[in-house]
Amino acid sequence: MGLAQNIVFGIVTGSYIAIAAIGFTLIYGIVNMINFAYGEYLTLGAFVGFLSASAVPLPLPIAVVVAMIGGGIISIVLARGFFTPINDTGPVPMLLTSIGLGIAIRNAIRLVGGRGARYIETETTTFRFDGVPDVAIGSVDLLGGFFVTSEHLVVFGSAVAVFLSIHALLTRTDVGIAMRAMGDDESLARVRGIDTQLIRDSVWVLAGVLAGLAGVLMAIQTNVSSTTGFSHILQILSAAILGGAGSPYGAIIGAYVIGLALALSTAFLPSSMTGLSSAVAFAILIAVLLVKPSGIAGTEVREA
Amino acid sequence: MSALDRLPSGDGDRALIAGTLCLLVGGLFAVTPLQAQLPGALYVFVEVGITFVIFGMLVLGLDLQYGHTGLVNFGHVVFFAVGAYATAMLAAQDSFAGISLGYPWPLALLVGVVAAALLGLVVSATSIRLRDDFLAIVTLATAEIFHSVFVNFEGIFGGNVGILGVPRPIAAVAGDTDTRMIATILVIGGLTLITLAAVTRLTEAPYGRVLRAIRADELVTRSVGKSTIVYKTQAFVYGAALAGLAGGVFALYNGAVAPGFFTIQVTVTIWIGMLLGGAANHRAVLAGLAVIMGLRLVSRFGLSVTPVSGDVFAAFRLVVVGLILVAVIRFRPAGIWGDPQELGVDR
Repeated sequence: MGLAQNIVFGIVTGSYIAIAAIGFTLIYGIVNMINFAYGEYLTLGAFVGFLSASAVPLPLPIAVVVAMIGGGIISIVLARGFFTPINDTGPVPMLLTSIGLGIAIRNAIRLVGGRGARYIETETTTFRFDGVPDVAIGSVDLLGGFFVTSEHLVVFGSAVAVFLSIHALLTRTDVGIAMRAMGDDESLARVRGIDTQLIRDSVWVLAGVLAGLAGVLMAIQTNVSSTTGFSHILQILSAAILGGAGSPYGAIIGAYVIGLALALSTAFLPSSMTGLSSAVAFAILIAVLLVKPSGIAGTEVREA
Repeated sequence: MSALDRLPSGDGDRALIAGTLCLLVGGLFAVTPLQAQLPGALYVFVEVGITFVIFGMLVLGLDLQYGHTGLVNFGHVVFFAVGAYATAMLAAQDSFAGISLGYPWPLALLVGVVAAALLGLVVSATSIRLRDDFLAIVTLATAEIFHSVFVNFEGIFGGNVGILGVPRPIAAVAGDTDTRMIATILVIGGLTLITLAAVTRLTEAPYGRVLRAIRADELVTRSVGKSTIVYKTQAFVYGAALAGLAGGVFALYNGAVAPGFFTIQVTVTIWIGMLLGGAANHRAVLAGLAVIMGLRLVSRFGLSVTPVSGDVFAAFRLVVVGLILVAVIRFRPAGIWGDPQELGVDR
């Protein structure tokens, strides 16, 4: 398999990580917590999408919308129940709460749905590009033929749509501008008459909607199981921190860096060590925190 | 003056004496023909008890880092794993996979502790300045990296199989299974008690006061002339070394190490145990850990009387464990036996 193919895979992975990472980083910037349960929001969204696509059954695009709405509702309910009451205790208790909540939700899903993976039936068209010449250097093929499926295009297209709507939201609407203001300085925002709790709630809903979309896209790409979201949470987190925690634009860049790094390390590592590709993402994360802890576009996270 | 008056009174000294006694009695069971009888129903208690005393060393080390110094180490399992792997690879003979060097086990155990401490030094040298929640993420990521390294470098670490053929010093000298189990829990429990004595000494000394001052307010501590970074690094390395000791002891008790023993679940268990009991109080964190590990017993017994599968029961137990963590932080942030004022969570 050539490098071109791996880049396609990397961009697809980067796309759904980016959607989730935007939600994750918005929560970080405005609620000021690392939400470790965020992966479970993806799983729940994926299950809502799966159930409405197969059990009801709804057409896939409507199922995706249902998953997004479901994700938003789940997110605000969980936030109201678990995070809002302890909002003023600081980042560490919030992080620990989200870890506990994540364990509980993940295993509750396992309890209800079992361990098995489920698949969403889709009709896929594959576009092949076989005419591309091979440019081999050593064992690695630097170009080579590749294919793009309609699923790939849907994932990438949704990601671009999300980027554009988030940009529009943050720059053109009152709510979005208030979100950015709160991310900069919460007290100042409150002085200016912004209802901070309302904005916090809308961030939770928005993050849940994005999680639902990312989850259902993962489900279409691969499958749905109780660990769908959890297996991606560290990548989402790496992307968000790489981009500069709190910055949605940074998160997009971070997500594509992580996605490409994962795909390329799969390509370049010997086949017996492809499992190391996730370690590569974390190594990037640690390197970023050591060299430039503020990420590509974010705030300082060092104390001393 | 009676003999009783001359007994030391401090917590640390009492733990030291109890620990030494346990070690001696355990050693006695192991090396002499003395035999112990263990009723069949108690096997599972002793088994969970051995895991508890090993995890006890982990939670004491973590409490030194988080409870006393305020370092949020969410990858504690990595030091446990590195200690265990280093010990196993040095001591193992003819392992099925991975490196086995066959050196004497005391040397291997020592190297295990040193390896974990060195890793702790590297992690703290690079990351100790990060904000709390980001330190948590770096340590967590470190643990995940090592986990996948252990799984993927089959030639060195034995992949998913791990390292087999690690010598089991107690099993080698003990007569039968019952005696072996009793001797094991006594010896390792003795080690844990001695650890308790050591950390109690450390934290009751002025040194411990500095650590707690850093937790309460780092800026003030620095302003009175204490190099907080040095203290934080030391606390982190001590905690890592203790985890390495626990890992080495685990390898020598279990006779094998594999990635499956060193998942994030270990970190979560000891964190919940520590928070439930009450951070910054050595006996409280051990008690909290006992409660959480007691749940394992409940689920084992529950499993035999209910008609559900083991997987369902495990999932249910983890739901409960997760909700306990959430509830503790929400309603009792100082833990059951912790001191809210000292932990600065007075609400």
